[in-house]
Amino acid sequence: MSAGGSDGTADRPADLAAEGECPEQAGSSLPAVEVPRKRKGDVEERSGTHGQHSVDFQKDDDRSRSEGEDQQVKMKCFREPHRQIEKRRRDKMNTLIDELAAMIPACQPMARKLDKLTVLRKAVQHLKALKAGTGSAFTDTTFKPSILSHDDLKHLLLRAVDGFLLVVSCDRAKILFISESVSKILNLSRLELTGQSLFDFIHPKDINKVKEQLSSSEYPRQCLIDAATGVQVQVDAPARPPLLSTGARRSFFCRLKHSRVAGKQDKHFLPCTSKKKDTSRYCTLHCTGYMRSCPSSQLDSEGDSEMESSDLSCLVTVCRLLTPMSHQPPKELTIRPSEFVTRWAIDGKFTFVEQQATTVIGYLPQEVLGTSCYEYFHQDDLLHLADKHRQVLRSKEKIETRCYKFKTKYGSYVSLQSQWFSFTNPWTKEVEFIVSSNQVISGPGHTKDEEAGNSKALQEDTKQIPIIPSLSSGLGTMIYAGSIGTQIANELMDSYRMNSSPSSRACSPFGPTQEKCPQVSPQTSTSASSREEASGSSSQSQCDSRTAAGTSSATSESLAAVSRININPIQGEPSQLDLDLVPGLSSFSSDEAAMAVIMSLLETDVNMGQSEDFEDLHWPF
Amino acid sequence: MTANKEKRRVISRDAARRRRQVESEVFVDLSRLLPFQQSVQDHLDKPSVIRLTLSYIRMHTLLKGKTGIKVEASHAVKCGQVMESGQEWRGCDRGRDDEEKKTDNVEASEETNMFLRILEGFLMVLSTEGDMIYLSDNVSKYMGLTQTELMGHNIFEYTHPCDHEEIRNNLRLTAEEVWCGAKRDFIMRIKGALTHRGRSSNLKSATWKVLHCQGRAKVCVAPSSVSCLLLTCQPLPLSHTLLSTHTFTSQHSMDMRFTYCDQRMTLLLGYSTEELLGRSIYDLCHILDTNCLTKNHLNLCFKSQSVSGQYRMLVRGGGYVWVESHSAVIPSVRPSKSRPGAHQPLCILCVTYVLSGVEEPSLQLSLDQAVHRYLR
Repeated sequence: MSAGGSDGTADRPADLAAEGECPEQAGSSLPAVEVPRKRKGDVEERSGTHGQHSVDFQKDDDRSRSEGEDQQVKMKCFREPHRQIEKRRRDKMNTLIDELAAMIPACQPMARKLDKLTVLRKAVQHLKALKAGTGSAFTDTTFKPSILSHDDLKHLLLRAVDGFLLVVSCDRAKILFISESVSKILNLSRLELTGQSLFDFIHPKDINKVKEQLSSSEYPRQCLIDAATGVQVQVDAPARPPLLSTGARRSFFCRLKHSRVAGKQDKHFLPCTSKKKDTSRYCTLHCTGYMRSCPSSQLDSEGDSEMESSDLSCLVTVCRLLTPMSHQPPKELTIRPSEFVTRWAIDGKFTFVEQQATTVIGYLPQEVLGTSCYEYFHQDDLLHLADKHRQVLRSKEKIETRCYKFKTKYGSYVSLQSQWFSFTNPWTKEVEFIVSSNQVISGPGHTKDEEAGNSKALQEDTKQIPIIPSLSSGLGTMIYAGSIGTQIANELMDSYRMNSSPSSRACSPFGPTQEKCPQVSPQTSTSASSREEASGSSSQSQCDSRTAAGTSSATSESLAAVSRININPIQGEPSQLDLDLVPGLSSFSSDEAAMAVIMSLLETDVNMGQSEDFEDLHWPF
Repeated sequence: MTANKEKRRVISRDAARRRRQVESEVFVDLSRLLPFQQSVQDHLDKPSVIRLTLSYIRMHTLLKGKTGIKVEASHAVKCGQVMESGQEWRGCDRGRDDEEKKTDNVEASEETNMFLRILEGFLMVLSTEGDMIYLSDNVSKYMGLTQTELMGHNIFEYTHPCDHEEIRNNLRLTAEEVWCGAKRDFIMRIKGALTHRGRSSNLKSATWKVLHCQGRAKVCVAPSSVSCLLLTCQPLPLSHTLLSTHTFTSQHSMDMRFTYCDQRMTLLLGYSTEELLGRSIYDLCHILDTNCLTKNHLNLCFKSQSVSGQYRMLVRGGGYVWVESHSAVIPSVRPSKSRPGAHQPLCILCVTYVLSGVEEPSLQLSLDQAVHRYLR
């Protein structure tokens, strides 16, 4: 089928002769391959570019069906899928026309969709304009026409490959040719390098290595690998290696000197490359290429008369800078997510941590035992996790948390999702401990929220924002975060006590009271504002104004507030804030610490009113 | 009545034929404008013409951003020039007249051709949706399909389904990454329609070919923001390379335990073969490079070939060396002709290049090193 003819016939649906065939033209035919029909990947709709694939599948179906059937049915079966074939072909064409219209500036401002012919005509005009713009490169008949001009291709190639072309002679390692791009990589100009000996620029320890690679036939041990068996094959050195034979292939790594003019170069270093005595810096390159033999008659323009007109061997290589990418964790690998189990007491303090946890959180088990899990939770998650904590203490079922961030030893965050389950002592009917089964959520392919969470975590890594700017010591964290767990636990204990003996309720003395709300957080403006984002409740603005007021003015306020707290019937039984239980608090100046605690309590008071889930709590009324 | 109907039918048929004629003519015009040889132009069908036009326009849009980077003229210096055909050497003094421009073009083309040949790979420009906007013309040597057949199609049609996710992840570019020209380095399987002898067959008998893709992101800001990935794709040959004394080979079972290593390993790292047999490579490497090794191992299991990137191997007695491994999965026994369909046990063959000297020889990073040091 000639091209001209088929263009016509392909569009004529009535022509049965044509419809059965798959057009055998360059570029359009994609006959069936051993590819499963159901693809896992993100494959475009079959009506698009897969039209041709389906043609053959349909044909195969048709063939098998028609074998046992009569002519009429055969025709019907042919027409049915044929309509679909045609439809697919038309859809594909329409899609292509649309894409073309999108790319052509002349077609874009049109409000309504242009018809096929107009788009094609505009495309012709556009191409003519492009060709006029680029000059004579394409009309030059001496060159093979190509989509890109050679300069463009070169530019793209060099952009993709951080490398340069190098030709060295084998006997003295004289640089015969080096491409322009070397200036980008080594910061040495082409002029400086051409004609020099390569050994002047190589790291001293690599000189022998390169010498080996340059020697052609004289090298006694030519070790090749036979890929079929993996066995090394000792080859008797041939008299002269043939041009571009696979035996003449060379591949090696070497370190080349480079100048420090552009500071950027430092990034490309492997840590091993700088020698302390030598002030020059080196970068590692991967050189691959071939040995070639070339007549040396016109080699030296200096007119070296000693040069015989014998053939000279040289090594033609592409030297490519190594990308230090390997140390990044493979984001794209979907390894089974790590899981580990931890156990904590009712106040959130770790009592058991599985060994595997270390690979995830960085801490060894002994480092976290006894510390409260709240110290590791990210601020934004405190509210929701404390909520779940309360829930799990009162429920007999597994509570699943949302994805949250857990601080690792190195300060970065890892996303986890956990199932919590409380174990109740069957005799005392009290919760003994909580078992937490944690999975690491990482990598792409998750919901947008989690991804956003991940990227946020990464941003935080890079910026290294401490959680509590003003009280950034670990102790500071402990005061507030740790006490959340203690509070929740105390609530529970109280509820037990109250349930067992309602008469034993006692009023707590006036003093710094403890709120039964998990919303304890340091009162810095940054944290308050981030909590604002997290919970979004309007009470936050009140907190902000309070925190903004400063600690000194808050004293009177706090006292008044505290008195209000006592009266507030919702409070139930406040219990002592047992400062001794929170380690490290005493090391702070008492005023500051007390003020800080009071402020946090006040904030939590306000939040309590909004976010408390009253049903679960055993209120004493 | 029927005569009228008949007449109308004829008229409409003629009109349709004329329309199709006009359309075909426009298509021919368009194909003539495409920068391909006449013979190629004549054989393009309509969708291909549009596909290639799209590629052409997209490439120009992409490259518009660059400010005409021309080959630098080095005026007074004579330089050697290697020509691809023939074995001539030519020193050239570069002027700037038209004749020289032409020579520049010649040089540029030769240089890029040589570059691509020595690199043993082809250039691919991928849009963020995976469309292969541009492929250098030597792609036919590696994939068996020509530039015109492939350009404009989507890469997901030609790659192994299991690799699609990895490819998509690599195509995902944030704005920051594009601006910095973020680098990409991954391995994928692509359909190759080449016979053993290197001749093109058709897609029906395509087999999977493993390609190592390396490159970076590129953006063009005006007129519209277009970002894409520039990649060089190289197959991974393992055979027939002259190995230096700074390279050693080793064989492993599929779980990366040593089953064999050559004597150069002893010279370079100090371990004897007996010491290593049965030990896992993960034990021998710096703990922080586990990620790198894992990725390498997984690539081998799924794609059967891999390039590891740089990692550290511990030296007996203390310290480490930087290495890079090129590995492949091969049958561990020679495939027998008597039982061709039998299941072949597989093993991993690694060629490891040592990149550096021994770093920090007194540093003990594993228990083994401590033991060896004191038991010397």
